[in-house]
Amino acid sequence: MKSADMRISYLISRSSRYVFTIGWIALVTALFVVLRDELDTTLIALLYLIPLGLISAYWGMGPGVGGALLTFLTFNYFFIRPYYTLAVHRLTDMVILAIFLVVAVAISRLVGRLQASLLAATAREREVTQLYALSSALSASQDENEIVEILANQIQEISHAGRLEIDLAGSNSFSLPLSSANLTERPPELAIPMQTARGLLGEIRLWKTTPSIRPEEQRLLETLASQAALALERARLRQTESRAKILEESDQLKSILLSSVSHELRTPLSTIKAAASSLRGHAVSWDSPASAELISAIDDEADHLNILVGNLLDMSRIESGALKPKREWNILSEIVASVLTRMRYVSDEHTLEVDLPENLPFVPVDYVQMEQVFTNLLSNSLKYAPIHTNIQIQARAEGQAICIRVSNQGPQVPPEHLERIFDKFYRVTAADRVTGTGLGLSICKGIVEAHGGRIWAENIPDGFAFVFTLPRLLDGAPPPQLPMDPEVE
Amino acid sequence: MSAEPHILVIDDEPQIQRAIRTILTERGFKVTTASKGEDGMTFAAANPPDLIILDLGLPDMDGIEVCARLREWTQTPIIILSARDGERDKVAALDRGADDYLTKPFGIEELLARVRVALRHSANRAGTQPNKMIRAGDLTIDLAWHLIKRGETEIKLTGTEYKLLAYLASNHGRVLTHQNILVNIWGPADADHTEYLRVYMRQLRKKLEIDPERPKYILTEPGIGYRFIAD
Repeated sequence: MKSADMRISYLISRSSRYVFTIGWIALVTALFVVLRDELDTTLIALLYLIPLGLISAYWGMGPGVGGALLTFLTFNYFFIRPYYTLAVHRLTDMVILAIFLVVAVAISRLVGRLQASLLAATAREREVTQLYALSSALSASQDENEIVEILANQIQEISHAGRLEIDLAGSNSFSLPLSSANLTERPPELAIPMQTARGLLGEIRLWKTTPSIRPEEQRLLETLASQAALALERARLRQTESRAKILEESDQLKSILLSSVSHELRTPLSTIKAAASSLRGHAVSWDSPASAELISAIDDEADHLNILVGNLLDMSRIESGALKPKREWNILSEIVASVLTRMRYVSDEHTLEVDLPENLPFVPVDYVQMEQVFTNLLSNSLKYAPIHTNIQIQARAEGQAICIRVSNQGPQVPPEHLERIFDKFYRVTAADRVTGTGLGLSICKGIVEAHGGRIWAENIPDGFAFVFTLPRLLDGAPPPQLPMDPEVE
Repeated sequence: MSAEPHILVIDDEPQIQRAIRTILTERGFKVTTASKGEDGMTFAAANPPDLIILDLGLPDMDGIEVCARLREWTQTPIIILSARDGERDKVAALDRGADDYLTKPFGIEELLARVRVALRHSANRAGTQPNKMIRAGDLTIDLAWHLIKRGETEIKLTGTEYKLLAYLASNHGRVLTHQNILVNIWGPADADHTEYLRVYMRQLRKKLEIDPERPKYILTEPGIGYRFIAD
């Protein structure tokens, strides 16, 4: 229904130009008839050229040439003697008439063509502007969905389609229903393939409400489609490239990991094997102190192996982005206490000072992961700090964050290493002098960053400190209030 | 319960089966093993054990489901075994009716302690009068008289603190998940408010523990819940 209405109005606007041309000429002719006795025939012919020029300029070549022919007739009929006939008796009149016809048609055509080329130039300019807008919008975008959305909006601006669908091969389709009318029941007016040298990337389908798609409009849409196809291809290539790069890096990482890990795993395994086989082979008697020593070595080394394997798992989880903290409101002192309880057996040689303010607010953290951070930072400190020195854990609320420091009186780290000690397998000292996978600190970094915090290391006057921050809000919200507690029963 | 408690071990790894069977048999238990979930459920139905040790990672079906299906018809205590990072699975299995858990690799003392606690709780459930007087170190918790004492000194608790402690203590030795405690003390609407627990456990530890920073009675099970340790 709607499209039929529009078609009619379009026809009216076209034919009305001719009606107006006729009316305009009739008006001018009437004026000239009144003034016929005052004006010379030649002058009238010249005066007739003015309305004709205007008609061509405003309404184009068709009405212009039509008007010229009509004027030729009216001029002959009303102003060439004998009046009110189309007969011509005098040779001069015949010449005037002939010249008038030639000039009128020529002017109309010239002015009309000028008008048409002006319109074409304006249209070209608009097209160029639109293309420019699209390509500059696309060049900034690397995301497929974003590209499709930009394209859809641009097409809509040009074509005023009733419905628009962009279908990407091997991906989801994007549709933009623009009018309430259900247009998908009929086939689309226009389907433009999105083609690149590497193949078909998708298709754009248009349902129009206006009668037809003009050839220049179609050409512009095709240009837009190929621009967008190029941008899509570029985005995909970039993705493939970065994926290839990641793969290459992870390959490299894997080989470092394997060499570091096999060394680390073999050490406790050797101990276990040696101890177990000597107990089994009765090399030491079961009730001697040596056997107790061996048994506890087996137990300790098994724990050590377990920690190593755990670190590897954590690291691979961080690497693959699978480490999602389950953030809940926790009390820092509870986490630290449970870490210290567990680590007591290793910390006998150092003095641990815990300074967590009583009024320290809740922190939104994953309990288990935060334990891991403290465990790793503490065991790193224990490993490097000389025995009988202090290790301190401090926490302070600072604005929107909580700042936690784990400091020790161990040797300082040269400034150029401070940043890199959180890298995987990075060691300040030679690998054979300390044990561990070289993963502990990078796991800390992964966990703290997954919580939205930051971690760094710094040299302090009498030693070395790890510092990390954690946000105090959980999804933008402060800790909840507790319900009222009935007093003593 | 017969003189020789019967334990069913459902685990697909032969080494673990061997180790558990050797140790438990040595300690006077009768041990049956199954390496698949389906087999385990069949064995449990044919010859009801006193306790089930269930690995969560079975080849044929999800251990959590085995747990839920066993709970449809039996109250036999279930101890689950799982990998280190399976907190989510452990909590799911505990909330679906498992009684306790052990993380692989585990020490044998730990396993025996869990087995003892689980057998005791199942005996209590079976009708013997539950203990109304619980001792932990120098603490006495009298559930009948709502009285908590350290030595001879009474410890004053608020209403919620008492309810919480009474619940923990009457399940002493067992792990209780956050959700389990929250639902029992605050009600189902507050099942997600772990922070309530964090606050009240801190208050309780301050009143009960000798060194609240190194608790001996109320232990945190990271990512899972709490466990009360009595004598």
